[in-house]
Amino acid sequence: MREYAFFLGCIAPNRYPGAESASYKTAEKLGIKLLDLEGASCCPAPGAFGSIDLNVWYAMAARNLVLAEQMKKDIALICNGCYKSIWEVNHKLKHNKELRDGVNEVLKGIDMEFKGTIDVWHLAELFYDPNIVGVDKIRDSVKVPLKGARIAVHYGCHLMKPKKERHFGSTEHPTWLEEMVAALGAEPVEYKNKMLCCGAGGGVRGYDLVHSLDITNEKLINLKEANVDALTEVCPFCQLQFDRGQIEIEEKFGVKYNLPVLHYCELLGLAQGMSPQELGLDLHAVSCEPFLKKVL
Amino acid sequence: MAEKKTKKEHPTKKDTKTAAAKAAHAAKTPDKDLGKNARIGVYICHCGTNIAGSVDILAVQEYAKTLPNVVHVDNYQYMCSTPGQKKIENDIKEHNLTGVVVAACSPRLHEPTFRTATKQGGLNPFRFEMANIREQGSWVHMHDREGATEKAKDAIRIAVAKAALLQDLVPKSVPVTKAALVVGAGVAGMQAALDLANAGIKTYLVEKSPTIGGRMSQLDKTFPTLDCSQCILTPKMVDVGRNPNIQLMTYSEIEEVEGYIGNFDVTIRKKARGVLTPAEAEARGIVGGGCNGCGDCDTVCPVIKPNPFEMGMKPRKAIYIYHPQVVPLIYTIDFDSCVKCGLCVEACGEKKAIDLEMKDELVKIKVGTVILALGYDIFPVEKKEEWGYKKYENVVTSLEFERLICASGPTGGHLVRPSDGKTPKKVAFVLCAGSRDNTGIGKPYCSRFCCMYSLKHAHQIIEKIPGAQPYIFYMDIRSFGKMYEEFYYRIQDEGAKFIRGRVANILEDPVTKNLIINAEDTLLDRPMQLEVDMVVLAAAVQPSADTDRTRKLFGVSCSLDGWLLEAHPKLNPCGTTTAGVFLAGVCQGPKDIPDTVASAEGAASAASIPIHMGEVELEPYFAQCIEEKCAGCGMCVNLCPYQALSLVEKEGRKVMQVTEAKCKGCGTCGGFCPGGAIWMQHFATPQIIAQIDAFLLGGEQ
Repeated sequence: MREYAFFLGCIAPNRYPGAESASYKTAEKLGIKLLDLEGASCCPAPGAFGSIDLNVWYAMAARNLVLAEQMKKDIALICNGCYKSIWEVNHKLKHNKELRDGVNEVLKGIDMEFKGTIDVWHLAELFYDPNIVGVDKIRDSVKVPLKGARIAVHYGCHLMKPKKERHFGSTEHPTWLEEMVAALGAEPVEYKNKMLCCGAGGGVRGYDLVHSLDITNEKLINLKEANVDALTEVCPFCQLQFDRGQIEIEEKFGVKYNLPVLHYCELLGLAQGMSPQELGLDLHAVSCEPFLKKVL
Repeated sequence: MAEKKTKKEHPTKKDTKTAAAKAAHAAKTPDKDLGKNARIGVYICHCGTNIAGSVDILAVQEYAKTLPNVVHVDNYQYMCSTPGQKKIENDIKEHNLTGVVVAACSPRLHEPTFRTATKQGGLNPFRFEMANIREQGSWVHMHDREGATEKAKDAIRIAVAKAALLQDLVPKSVPVTKAALVVGAGVAGMQAALDLANAGIKTYLVEKSPTIGGRMSQLDKTFPTLDCSQCILTPKMVDVGRNPNIQLMTYSEIEEVEGYIGNFDVTIRKKARGVLTPAEAEARGIVGGGCNGCGDCDTVCPVIKPNPFEMGMKPRKAIYIYHPQVVPLIYTIDFDSCVKCGLCVEACGEKKAIDLEMKDELVKIKVGTVILALGYDIFPVEKKEEWGYKKYENVVTSLEFERLICASGPTGGHLVRPSDGKTPKKVAFVLCAGSRDNTGIGKPYCSRFCCMYSLKHAHQIIEKIPGAQPYIFYMDIRSFGKMYEEFYYRIQDEGAKFIRGRVANILEDPVTKNLIINAEDTLLDRPMQLEVDMVVLAAAVQPSADTDRTRKLFGVSCSLDGWLLEAHPKLNPCGTTTAGVFLAGVCQGPKDIPDTVASAEGAASAASIPIHMGEVELEPYFAQCIEEKCAGCGMCVNLCPYQALSLVEKEGRKVMQVTEAKCKGCGTCGGFCPGGAIWMQHFATPQIIAQIDAFLLGGEQ
């Protein structure tokens, strides 16, 4: 069993505990043990902190990295925003000595030092990597195939870009998440503007909610047109935007979509035979009932 | 001839030698008295304010006067002007100079000028030395007057040290073969070949594909006149095909090149075409046979392949011609796909034109000069993933668009969407698709003709499709040619919509296959989204696939981007640093048709000069063997990159001999020779050591 320090982030434990519990449980069935990363702070949020003071961003992310270095474990995480911060800062500090020295100067104040001894992984990356889990092993773990479910995917910008600093191959036309959805027995569905932002990231949601919802609304229209049963993503922040965003869109624009939005781990949990309650699906803003009725 | 004679003569018979022979001998062996009685004149050029603006001319002049062997120093505003040159001529006589140093610009620019002046003054032209105090001085130290002045002093001191040791050299003349080779038969190669042929020069035109015409024959119309490309090109193709002075070799590639200006020995691989021309058939004794282009073979051939001329959008058979106007009108078998079923042989019947067992042939030719017209390829724009080329069916490149809108193209000139065959109404043109792109994926340079052909495309859809709306996403519109800007206004008036901003990404609606363009309108300063039926990418251009291989065969250098390098971008735009090899068309950098044809005519003119002169002078920078010192070890023979050296038997022992016409003076042999037996003319060891000493000792002896 591979072990990773699990970086929770803020949105999953606070808004979507289902995504959190689903991650622990599904990973374990795929041979990955997620260990608690004790003392972890905010990642920190790349849009909010990164846009204002990069030095704070580097130092806070580095502190989280050092916690994992002390555990001698690579970090696994489930949020694209956390990935942007933790993965990217790790990458930058490993490759830029000047930056690393500056950050270590700050960390010295709390008796810490960034050494660059660990790697950072998105849990989805671990799931897809054939050397770690791989699509075949996911397919083998499925007990309740999600037959007939039309599921659209959303990758999320921070996970895929900038291309130069990512390693997903094609960042414009990726297919790995579709492959992982197909492995659950469901049908991945193409839709217009698939690679567009969810509307939340980069501080847009915090800065201008209506504008941010406008983008989300555009994507929801396209999803509705594609006639999908659910949307899946690998990022609780995208999840929040698509799920709670639907309530806000109803308030602000008067449109109702009722489109269930599930983190991939929640979807995987269902396919692995876990109950909706166990996965916290009842805590979503938009009811997952119609979808559950169809697939279970 | 004089040279060869002197070699045979005994060194003691000095009095019998001609002046040239004397010079040749003097150069060949180090003179013991070298530099002893040198009288050097130094001239400092202001180059307007180019040099004088950053270098204290008078201080440099005073300094130069203190240098050993310097007997005369002068400065002038423009040394390259007639009065400047006159100074040199007069002073050589007046001050009895033995060497001249001009401190000015780059020797690439004016060394020939001052050599001529030196010669006019009665000295051997190789008694001249240049100190570059502009490119390597004032220009790079523009704001450091003191530093630039000191550096100019250094440069002059070094040049004077060498000038004192310079020897008389005599350039060697070689006869020039009265024939030329043109590689590549696109519009540039065709024009160059026609010009050479019409000037009475036998011209070999070698083309790798089965027909001539190149990229221009793939175009529908040409901007800004909108005449049909093929209509203006075909007459030229026919002219090329029937010109008695042009030997056309299609489906052929350059295999090997040897020799030098005036005497290139070129081996050409005639790829097995599988089909005999009437002449070839006759040579085999088949009377009245050979391919007449009837196409009976094409009809029966069972193998279907995409036609690259139609950008793969139309099929061709394993035995094929690209299009009806090919020159020569001879079929070609693609042996990679041919199954040798023999149906074509049967269909060809009595003409007996088809030989399925044909093999490549190697043909050797001898030419005096060469023109490279290697053309270009389209940048693989699928590398710019964000635009979805090769991923979304309705994203096409401009060259594909040319075929789709061309009356002889795969759709008979009806523009259709590849996904469903419907006529597109809203078409977006993405300019600079991979050009002017510093991301490391695309090309940093401007591809120079995309703006104009995209304007043309916009016009074509407005003209052909009622209600069609073209959208042009651009960074700048570069309509710099004659009547180009006027064409731009015309397209604006016709209703094309121009959006300034590079397209961020293109997404597809999976149901309708429409394309959603996300861009920033930088004039309105806001992001925009546009849904269109079709997108045309004005893809960047890059050197054609085998440019690198071919250029290496001819010893031509290229820039970082792979485009071939001219000898001087302004003053020698058609020549290369390899004497006798010239460039035409886009292989040198992107050009539109008028510029390509102009450059081809320039190259043809340049390439015909040595041929008409009948002989060329080679720079006498070749190596010389000091036979008394040569141990005949032969190491230099193996090291020489130009096969210019050999070992010969002389007075019972082996010594090295230089084939002077082949030697490029690179110095590899001279640098290596363990016995110091090789004398690099004009860059001889004592001269270089004097330069180094002059620099390191700062003028102290």
